[in-house]
Amino acid sequence: MAKGPGYRMMVYMSKRMIACDEASFLISLREDHRLGFRRWWQLKMHLLTCHLCRKYAHQIGQLNHSLEVYRDQCSNELCEHHLSPEADSRISKVVTRELNAK
Amino acid sequence: MSNTKEHTVDPQHWVERHGDYLFNYAVVRVNDRGKAEDLVQETFLAGLKARDRFRGESTERTWLTSILKRKIIDTYRKKYTSKESSFGEHEQTVFDGDFYRSEEPFRGHWLEGMGPNSHSLLPEGELEQAELMKFIRLCIENLPPQLAASFVMKMIDEEDSDTICKELGITSSNLWVMLHRARLRMRDCLEKKWLN
Repeated sequence: MAKGPGYRMMVYMSKRMIACDEASFLISLREDHRLGFRRWWQLKMHLLTCHLCRKYAHQIGQLNHSLEVYRDQCSNELCEHHLSPEADSRISKVVTRELNAK
Repeated sequence: MSNTKEHTVDPQHWVERHGDYLFNYAVVRVNDRGKAEDLVQETFLAGLKARDRFRGESTERTWLTSILKRKIIDTYRKKYTSKESSFGEHEQTVFDGDFYRSEEPFRGHWLEGMGPNSHSLLPEGELEQAELMKFIRLCIENLPPQLAASFVMKMIDEEDSDTICKELGITSSNLWVMLHRARLRMRDCLEKKWLN
C-alpha cells in the first residue's frame, strides 16, 4: 500500500522528536525533579503533538491528588484495617509475657 | 519514670491503645495483613527493649510509629535485595515493552490499548471517592515489590529521594525509572480496574 504524505510526516516527526516512552518518563520525572531546559523543551514539543501523552500528564496529576487523599485518610485511621481478634490476643500475650519476664 | 518527661510509656496498654493504629499504618505500606501483624508485634517487642531510652519528647504513639517505620524500611530492603525482585539491567531503561511499541519507525509510541483512554481519573461523588481509595490500595498491591517499595516510600511516606536511594541502595536514576514504571502501572490499573 502506498504511504501518503501524512504517514511520511509522522515518520519524519517520530525520528526528530522524543517518543511517548521518553515523554511519559519526563512527565513522571518532573514530579520529583526540575527538568533542564533541553528536556523541558523536548517534552513541551511532544505534548503539543501527542494527545495521548497530554491525557497521560493530566492523569498523573490526578493520580498524585488521589494519593494525597489516600495518604490523609489512611493516616486518620479511615482505612478500616483492624487487628484481627486472634492477632490482638496473640500480640497481647507476647507483650505481657515479655513484660513479666523483665 | 522521670517526672520531667512530657510523655511516658505504658506497655501494658500498648496493644489496646496503639495496636489498630500501628496495624493500619503497616498494612497500608506492606499490603500484607500477616506481615503487618508480625511487624506490629516486633515493634512492641523492640519498644519494650528500648523503653528505658524513651526520652518523653514525643508521644508514645509517635515513638512506636518511628520504630515501626524502621521495621517497614527493613522489610522493603529485604524485598528489594531478594533474588526474584532484583533490579535487573533491562529495568534501568525508560523503555517498557508492556506499554510501548518496539518496532520501527514508531518505537516508543504507546501500544494500542495501553495509552490513556479516559480524560479523568477523579471520582465525582463521595461514594466514588471511597471506591477509588479501595482501588488505589488494590493497584499498589499489584505493583511488583521493588516498584511498590520505592513508590510507597515516595508517595505515601513522603520520603525525600536521597533517603529512599540510601535505604534501598540505589542511584537516583534507578529511582526515577522505578517511580515512572510504578506510575505507568498505577494509572493503567486505575483506568482499567476502577473506571471500567
